[in-house]
Amino acid sequence: MSWAWRGLRPILESILAGAIGLGAGALIMWAWGYNPWPAYAALFRESFGSSYGLAGALANATPLILTALTFAVGARAGLFIIGAEGMLYMGALSAVALSFARLPSGLHTLVALLCAAAGGVLWSLVPALLRAYRGVHEVISTIMFNWLSHFLAFYLVANVLVDPVRAEKTLSVARTSRLPLLIRGTDLSLGIAVAVVLAALVYLFLWHTVTGYELRAAGANPHAARYAGVSPQRTVLLVFALGGAAAGLAGAVEVMGRPPTFAVYSGLTNIAGFGFDGIGVAMIGRIHPLGIIPASVFYGGLQAGARLMQMEAGVPFEMVRAVQGVIVLALALPELTRMFKVFLRTWRARRSAA
Amino acid sequence: MKRVGLVFLVAVLVALPVFAGRVALILDVGGRGDLSFNDMGFKGTEEACAAFNWEMVEIQSATSADYLPNIRNAARTGKFDLIICVGFLLADALNTVAPEFPHQKFGIIDAVVPQPNVLSIVFEEQEGSALVGALAGMLAAEYGYPYVGVVLGIEIPVLYHFEGGYRFGIDWGLKKYAEVTGKAAAVGLLWVYTGTFSDIAKGKAAAEAQLEQGAVAVYNVAGPLGIGILEAVSAKLAKENREAGPPFMIGVDANQDWMGDGNKVVASMMKRVDVGCYTAIQMVHEGTFQGGVLSLGLENKGVGISRYPDLLDFIDFGIKAGAITEADRARIIANWEAMRAAIPAWIWEAVDELESKILAGEIVVPKPETREEMLAVRAQYPLSR
Repeated sequence: MSWAWRGLRPILESILAGAIGLGAGALIMWAWGYNPWPAYAALFRESFGSSYGLAGALANATPLILTALTFAVGARAGLFIIGAEGMLYMGALSAVALSFARLPSGLHTLVALLCAAAGGVLWSLVPALLRAYRGVHEVISTIMFNWLSHFLAFYLVANVLVDPVRAEKTLSVARTSRLPLLIRGTDLSLGIAVAVVLAALVYLFLWHTVTGYELRAAGANPHAARYAGVSPQRTVLLVFALGGAAAGLAGAVEVMGRPPTFAVYSGLTNIAGFGFDGIGVAMIGRIHPLGIIPASVFYGGLQAGARLMQMEAGVPFEMVRAVQGVIVLALALPELTRMFKVFLRTWRARRSAA
Repeated sequence: MKRVGLVFLVAVLVALPVFAGRVALILDVGGRGDLSFNDMGFKGTEEACAAFNWEMVEIQSATSADYLPNIRNAARTGKFDLIICVGFLLADALNTVAPEFPHQKFGIIDAVVPQPNVLSIVFEEQEGSALVGALAGMLAAEYGYPYVGVVLGIEIPVLYHFEGGYRFGIDWGLKKYAEVTGKAAAVGLLWVYTGTFSDIAKGKAAAEAQLEQGAVAVYNVAGPLGIGILEAVSAKLAKENREAGPPFMIGVDANQDWMGDGNKVVASMMKRVDVGCYTAIQMVHEGTFQGGVLSLGLENKGVGISRYPDLLDFIDFGIKAGAITEADRARIIANWEAMRAAIPAWIWEAVDELESKILAGEIVVPKPETREEMLAVRAQYPLSR
């Protein structure tokens, strides 16, 4: 009974939180004079009620699963990695740079994905080393590295990888390295398989290998883990590498699998934000690699349904964003509360020790 | 009882708004509130909807990954008589979606999408730019400034129209000055591509540099960067303890004359995105819509130099957008009239003359489309001091 309850409780909590969020969103719309019923009907019909809408939701979920993994793996090991955004830019630009290579299709895709993952890992290396050997807090270093990445990416997009005929974007990814569309006439590419497989592998790694166990142990109680012989340096480096690879892949699947342009726009307008959205998605998915998948699909569905809320229910864009924000916040609340409790506990323990 | 039902039915039919058509307006990530390109698209669509009793649905894009699904979703609903994409950034996505829905009518502003069901609306920016160029050139010569300036955005082909026309206009204005006064003036052009349509600080920095070197006016060819350019002009005037220019800004896209209290923007090169949207809706409404390229120039009021009625029109636009209030109206109009009256009448007459010559086809303004053509125009009108 208690075993079943432990598994079910987070799911029930999330459902309750979602219901509260939807209710609050409806209240907001009603208070500003919009009818919430047709708005929600449009939202859910388009995101989950048709195969086309579901494909859109899954396409939106693809990069989010990967960036949420970055945060979740970190959080499981007791690290607060905010750097998925910057790692994602490097992954996306690595994928674009790889379009100069001449390789047969299939192999080209694989090589580009690997290079993008490597780009993400490389970008995460400095914060990882700083954390492992100098104790520089990862929140500070990854936020700073996000900005470094932002400006480096701006420079690369405008000067190095720029399309000579169309300066508003980079060169498009070579046809041979694009991810094939799973359903014609939608945005859904093979990238979703990359994301889901990686999430499953991360789950197996964390819960069914010794190293994964050590990693979670380090997150649950760093002192006990070190006492038991788990190397904190190795844990940090491993977590950052895994997170960097996932975020790098997120950038790659977005430029290699999302029609029609297959490039990075100047201003990074087609890849910016996925890294930060991933944090929220990870919270909704209770920082569990498998929980992240439905959380991403739900979040992606909210985005896909947002256009129908504008089109059919006439709810303005800003209102749609506000309602989305309330729903997401409510869904993230259970995990936020849990993380806050853990933080409070360690803080108190540290204070009483001092 | 039957009669009650009938009366009820009629009442319901009367109460239901019945629209003659529906249009979806799809915006890029820039979105509303730019007081320029996107707001102009909204303005024209709103006016057409009022005129023809159409319904408008506005769809904004959160990221540029939304362009394709936004257009496709609008087409899938099948309830729009016309889908207008505002901005060239949407061109790739429209080019993908248009063939999937051959019976859906589309319009796109500022780009050519070669599909049979797409009306591509482009502008003869070089014609309007020639007019403001002539004005700037004559102002520099008249007031003894060594330079005229222009701050441009990302170096994309459509901006070559602006630069080419501006160069031609300055040259024409300087010749006109020599003809009227019998004196030659050495005036050069300061020009810079900032590489951005969003970084307002870069616009300000670029304009400051040009103003310090003695530019009489800085032409804004970078959309929102105009806010930074106007700040630079205001700061320069404040340093000289003056309120009205010179130096001036030259506005773009919308009529921006009302900004900066009405006496800092000498004129605007209006690119009437609103006229484009209005025309597209009108064509569908009247059944004359067909795919192809519709080029809007001086002739069909698609571009032009700002005049008094435009000022009144766009003060309303600014009030509606919340940028100014009703209380500012009279002051802005008075300042604007004083600013324009301070400029010698022959200059305005010369601008009118250039306009009528372009309209009559006596003068053809160069319209560079590629980098090579642009380089040729730069070589022809180097405008270096």
